Amino acid sequence: MSSRSTRDASSMDSPSFWQRFVGACDRNVSWLMPLPAMMVTALLMIFPLGYLVYMSFHDWLLIGGKGPQFIHLQNYLALFQDERFISSLGRTGIFIILGLIIQVPFGVAIAVLFNEHFPGRGIMRTLLLLPMVATPVAMALIWVIMMDPSSGILNYFLSWFGIRSVAWLSDVNVVIPALVLVDTWQWTPMVALICLAGLSALPIEPFEAAMIDGASVWQRFWKLTLPMVWPTLLVAILFRFIDLLKVIEHIYVMTRGGPGFASETINLYNFLMGLFYYRVGYGSSISVVIFALVLGASLILIRARRTSW
Amino acid sequence: MVNSRAVAGSLARSNPGLRKTFLFILGVLVLIPFLFPFIWMLLGSFKEEVDFMAYPPVWIFKPTLENYWNVFVENDFGTFAINSMIVAALTTFFGLLFGIPGAYAVARYKRTGFALIVLAARMAPGIAFLLPWFVLFVQLKLTNTYFALVTTHLIFTLPLILWMMIGFIEAIPREIEQAAMVDGCTVWGSLFRVVIPLTVPGIAASGILCFIFSWNNFLFSVVLAGEATKTLPVAVFNFLGYQSISWGPLSAAASIITLPVLILALLVQKYIVRGLAAGGISG
Repeated sequence: MSSRSTRDASSMDSPSFWQRFVGACDRNVSWLMPLPAMMVTALLMIFPLGYLVYMSFHDWLLIGGKGPQFIHLQNYLALFQDERFISSLGRTGIFIILGLIIQVPFGVAIAVLFNEHFPGRGIMRTLLLLPMVATPVAMALIWVIMMDPSSGILNYFLSWFGIRSVAWLSDVNVVIPALVLVDTWQWTPMVALICLAGLSALPIEPFEAAMIDGASVWQRFWKLTLPMVWPTLLVAILFRFIDLLKVIEHIYVMTRGGPGFASETINLYNFLMGLFYYRVGYGSSISVVIFALVLGASLILIRARRTSW
Repeated sequence: MVNSRAVAGSLARSNPGLRKTFLFILGVLVLIPFLFPFIWMLLGSFKEEVDFMAYPPVWIFKPTLENYWNVFVENDFGTFAINSMIVAALTTFFGLLFGIPGAYAVARYKRTGFALIVLAARMAPGIAFLLPWFVLFVQLKLTNTYFALVTTHLIFTLPLILWMMIGFIEAIPREIEQAAMVDGCTVWGSLFRVVIPLTVPGIAASGILCFIFSWNNFLFSVVLAGEATKTLPVAVFNFLGYQSISWGPLSAAASIITLPVLILALLVQKYIVRGLAAGGISG
C-alpha cells in the first residue's frame, strides 16, 4: 500500500512505464480483452478453413510420400461424376426429411404434455435430458446390442405384435430408418425442450379468451399454440436440420456406412475419404461443399434467431 | 397427443385429480423409450454372457461383477479414464481462460461480428476443421499427443463457453460495474472483482458442459489419439472390433463412461439446451 502511494506521488509529473502500460491496457480494453479468444479462434477455426480450401485444390494422398499437386478445380469437378458422393448426398436428404418428420411432431407433442401441470413433471423433464448428454458412442453401442437380430430386445418387443425378426442394421431397406430411430431417441428431447421453453413463455390471456369463446382443444392448438410457438419451433427445426445434415457419429459406430454404402451419409463419406483413405485433397473438396451447405442453413438460422429470440 | 389432451380435458371437467393422474401416466409412457437404453445398459453390465444370449431376453438373473473386472483389469480402462480426464480438464481450463474475457468483450463492447463468426464455427461440419488439423499434426508429428486433442476439442467447446458466458455476463446489471469504476476500479479490475465473482454459477455451468462435451467427443479423438492418449469413447469403440460380441464388458464399459456424464448433467440441467445450441456438437 505504501509503495503504491509513493509511486503515485512520484508520478505526478511524469507517469512511469508501468502506469502508461496499465493506462494503455485500460483505454484499449475493448479489443485487448477479446484478443486472446480472437487469436485462438483465428488459429483454430479460420486458419484451418483457409488451409482446407488450399488442400481442396490439390491432388494429395497423405500416405506414400508423394506431396500435394496443384490441380485447379479438378477435385470439385470430379464430385459431379462421383456416384458415391451423389448417392450419399441423396441419402443425407432422406435422413433429414425422415428425421424432421418424426422428431418435430413428436417433440412438439412432448412439449405440450410437459407444459401441463401434473405431479412428477419436473423430474420427468430432467430425465428427458439424459439421451442428449450421454456419451454418443457408448449409447450407439448399446443400440447395436438392442438391435441384434437374433437376441436383441427390440426384436423381442416387435414379436409381441407378431412382427418377425428384423435385421435392423444389416438390411439395406431398414438400416436408414433404424439409424434415424437412434437419432430420434437422442435428439427429440432437444426439440421438445426448446419448444417447451417457447410454450412456457406464451401469454395466458389468448387461451382464456379462446376457452370462453368455446374453442376446442384441437382448435386452440392449431390456431393459437402452434402459430405462437412457431418462431421458437423454427429455431429447433433449423438446429435439427443442420445437425442432421452433418449426421455421422452413430452411423460410423453402428454401421460404418454399411451394409455396402446403404447408410453412408455425406459427412461420413467425407470422413472416410479424408481420414480413412487419406485422400485429403479430395476429402477437403467434399468438406468445402458440406461447409457451404451448412453455412447456407446457418445464415437462415441466425436470421430466424434474430427475429424470434 | 391432442386426442389424449381432449380426453384429459373431458376428464378435467369431471375430476381434476383424475386428469393429473392421466397426464402423469402419459408422461411415464413417453419417458420409458427415452430411458430404456440406459436401463438395458446397466442391466447388461451385470449379465453373464449366457444371459445375454438368452431369448426371450432375461430381466432377472444372477448379477456378476465380472464385466467390470474385465474392463478395468484386462482392458486397462483406468488409463483411458485418466486420459479422458486430462484432455477434458485441460480443454475446460483453456476454454474458460480464453472464453470469459472474450464473452465479456462481446457482452460489453458489442463485438457481435466476432460472436457470429464463432457461432458459424459451431454450425460448420467438424471435419472441415479436423481434416486440416489432422494433416498438419501428421506433418508436425504431433498426433497421439494431448496437445492435439485439447487444441481440436477447443474448436467446439470455445463457442460453447463464449455463448453461454455472454448470456451470464449480460445478465449482470451494468450499474454494479459502473459503481465499481466510479470507486476507481479499472475495466480489468471490474472483470476480476465484479463480473467473475458474480458469474461463478455460470462459469461452473459452462465449465461442466465443456467438460462433458470434451469427455463425450469421439470423432476428433478417434483420429488424433494414439495408443498412449486414447480416451474412453475411442477405447469403448475399439472394444467392438477386438473381441467379437463380448456384450457384457461392452455394457460395463458404456456404463462407466456414461454415468459420470449423467451425474454432471444433473448439476447443470438448466443450461444443457442452451449449451447444445451454442456448441459442443462436433459432427
